[in-house]
Amino acid sequence: MAVTTATLGASPRARRPALLAFRTAVLRKPGRVVGLAIIVLFALMAVAGPWLYGRLEIDPDAVYAPPSAKHWLGTDFAGSDVLQEIIVGARYVLGTAALAALITAVLGTGIGLVAGYRRGFTDSVLMRITDFILTIPAFPLLIVLSTVWDFSSPWLMGLVLGGTGWGGMARAVRSQALSLRERGFLEAARGLGLSTRHIIVKELLPNIAPYVAMHLLLSTIAFVTAEVGLFFLGVVPFSTTNWGVMLNQAVFSGGALESPDALFYLLAPLSCIVLLTLGIVLFLDAVDELFNPRLRERA
Amino acid sequence: MSRPKTLVAAVAAAVALTASSACSGSAKKINGGGSDGNVYTSIDANNPITAGAPMNPFNASPNTFLGYDQMQLGFDKKNPADPNDFFPGLAASWTATDTGLTVQLQPNAKWSDGTPVTLADIKTSVAVAYTQGLAGPSAATANPSAGSLEVSGVKDLGGGKIEFDEQPGVKNLYFTRLALSLTIVSDKVYGSQVPADVWTTIAAAQGPDANAAKAAITKLTTEGKALAAFAPAKDVSAGPFVIDHIDPGSAVMNRNPYFYDVKKIAPKQVVVRHFTGNEQIWSYMKAGELDSAPFTAMPTNVLNQVLGAGYTRMDSVSFVGASIAFNEKVAPFDKTAVRQALAYVIDRDAVTKVGEPVGGVPNAATTGLIKAQSDTFLSADQSAALNPYKPDPAKAAALLQSAGFKKDSSGQWHLPDGSAWKITLQAVNGFSDWISASAVIANELTGFGIPTTAAVTTDFATYKKEMGAGKYAFGWWLVALGPQTDKAYNRLYGSDDGFVYTNGQITHNDSGWEHTPETYAVNGQTVATGPLTAQLSVTPVADQKPIIAQLAAATNQELPVIQIWDYTRVQFTLNKRFTNFPKTGDEALLANPPGVWMMQGYVQNK
Repeated sequence: MAVTTATLGASPRARRPALLAFRTAVLRKPGRVVGLAIIVLFALMAVAGPWLYGRLEIDPDAVYAPPSAKHWLGTDFAGSDVLQEIIVGARYVLGTAALAALITAVLGTGIGLVAGYRRGFTDSVLMRITDFILTIPAFPLLIVLSTVWDFSSPWLMGLVLGGTGWGGMARAVRSQALSLRERGFLEAARGLGLSTRHIIVKELLPNIAPYVAMHLLLSTIAFVTAEVGLFFLGVVPFSTTNWGVMLNQAVFSGGALESPDALFYLLAPLSCIVLLTLGIVLFLDAVDELFNPRLRERA
Repeated sequence: MSRPKTLVAAVAAAVALTASSACSGSAKKINGGGSDGNVYTSIDANNPITAGAPMNPFNASPNTFLGYDQMQLGFDKKNPADPNDFFPGLAASWTATDTGLTVQLQPNAKWSDGTPVTLADIKTSVAVAYTQGLAGPSAATANPSAGSLEVSGVKDLGGGKIEFDEQPGVKNLYFTRLALSLTIVSDKVYGSQVPADVWTTIAAAQGPDANAAKAAITKLTTEGKALAAFAPAKDVSAGPFVIDHIDPGSAVMNRNPYFYDVKKIAPKQVVVRHFTGNEQIWSYMKAGELDSAPFTAMPTNVLNQVLGAGYTRMDSVSFVGASIAFNEKVAPFDKTAVRQALAYVIDRDAVTKVGEPVGGVPNAATTGLIKAQSDTFLSADQSAALNPYKPDPAKAAALLQSAGFKKDSSGQWHLPDGSAWKITLQAVNGFSDWISASAVIANELTGFGIPTTAAVTTDFATYKKEMGAGKYAFGWWLVALGPQTDKAYNRLYGSDDGFVYTNGQITHNDSGWEHTPETYAVNGQTVATGPLTAQLSVTPVADQKPIIAQLAAATNQELPVIQIWDYTRVQFTLNKRFTNFPKTGDEALLANPPGVWMMQGYVQNK
């Protein structure tokens, strides 16, 4: 944050157009506003949820209670408020996804750019490593690892998801870099004797950024689905506020598929995943325009 | 816990006992013999279908089904007052003698290939039991205090009478029970799988030469492994049904026309459905597909759905309890005051309401037995003297303070050394009742000021292994596995607690995971838990009261476990295709699978 402030303070001119472009891109279509609002809502839940609700109350006399003024989304197997569980559980889900996305972005983009621009031996080595990562079945690996590692913290889970999930991004970025490196502006840069680092960071990266951003958001959806799926299988530490555990409990303990009583308990985390996915997809449209000059011009 | 999985553990641990008695069947109505009938569909809670597994009852995942195609000489009535009380099976009657047991086979006992059940079948079955560790010294090692079936010979007395000779020098109270519980297999099928010299090996295993006995046991074990993997080409059954075919989703069994009492068997076919979890069984029942369903954990909302689909609920006593066990080697669980404090914090009523609302009753007081059984042994005064540990945070706090614990300004308890006290409560994946209950207990303890996390182990095999390795300090455990009281207390003061029973002597070492003290001081008396537990196995039920009184009081005071709920065996039947099912109150029948009901004349076509 300090860096951002300093940057903004040092360069007010640069800030205004970027913010303006962002606002313009988001406001151009109502769907984008909705998408951003959903993402912000979940981000707020992730940040503030556990502070808002400490220890969730249980009520064995109100197990699987239907939605009411007191419990907007009903209650779970122990009579705890489902809405509170959803809000508290957002931190783990989004924290994991954010960390995994960050690792994917840094490793995938970095390796893809270097491999695509340098080609030759560097490309071969980096792509063999990437291919190896791509062959690792991340989900089964997580199931196995869950027997020996404690995934109660989102950071370890994010690390594994990100560590096994950047291969696709690296491959995609490399393809883009291979294509771009033959363009005139890069030949000119090389002709001017600019350093490889400068060319990759200042010339290549900005042109690939929209692709990376979109890939990143889509990866985030995949990471959310993967971690929730893992918890749904019941092979990681048990937490009543975890969305995957909620799904697991609703189906395997609450009989949500046999009885309507536990249906809201099942639908609540499911709806959140769908809503989050929807938010990301809607917002992707704005990101696309934000980074794509042609779309900006057309608009 | 997925109820079926719990049941596996519970039933597996609750089977096997003995004594002396004679008995007779109690058939109600008799069906019309060989006429066609309906198809009976059910679930074997202990035995989901395992695709590709052999039709061999000794395999780890056998595709055979007790009471249908897998037969015994008799079937356990689970009578706590008489552990040798059995329904007749292939044995029509039996008499315990000073030297063993004499069994009268059913007059028409035949295999599904039409050949009669003979002495050779019984002898082979006993030999097979030795190779499988179900009889002999290996079985004694598995259940040190209870002893094992030790047969020195099986003789034909003529007229269908078979004599089981108990090994000279051994007097097991439960010889009858153990002999009647043997799985009887066909000599024509399994005889070739047992070496010709097996009885010589068995004799060596029972002999006085320790080295020769050890070598013989090793030989039997090796032979047993090969036999367990044996896959018969077809099912040869002496039971009411014989397997027609097995596919991954179900086992289909046809009525055995040669069954000794085939006229009582109404269904023309039995289909045992596969399942992977409780929710599948719920789904089958909601669709009205099962004619009877075994003990399955379910929430109240699912119960209502099942009852709404037309099922009748039948409750019977289940000699199993769910508890939270301590590893007393891990501080601070070595302190009695700490264990008692935790008992005062946990609200068992609330926990049971969430964890096992249909198939559980909150435990009244920790004694090592379920209440229905402890009530039969303890006097009113003794029961009244037990501490029920009703929820009382003030008492819990006082106990912790007396043990040197301190509470900080945020309300969190600290250990005597000043460090924050945190607990992990371990449960097992798939054991839905334990998992749900863990959430409540964790919530209660956290609210009291001991931050508690509920953790889940991937499967029960890993759980038992890791618990045995001392990895868990505080975790769920099945206790009170009766009705045999020595088995129930062996769960607390047996091998898991380091008590080893060899050559009639009991010793205590550090090999278990419970690590309770060797003796307790209770009401001014010293209670030696391990030796008393071993003593139960050689004491007739009628004389067990003084021993149980000591063990119950000691367990209640020292709390090696906190009993949370007593299970109730809740089963369901559907009066749609069949009628005349057992009812609530038919305890002995309900402790057995539907095949046994049918043998007794129950279950008729509608």
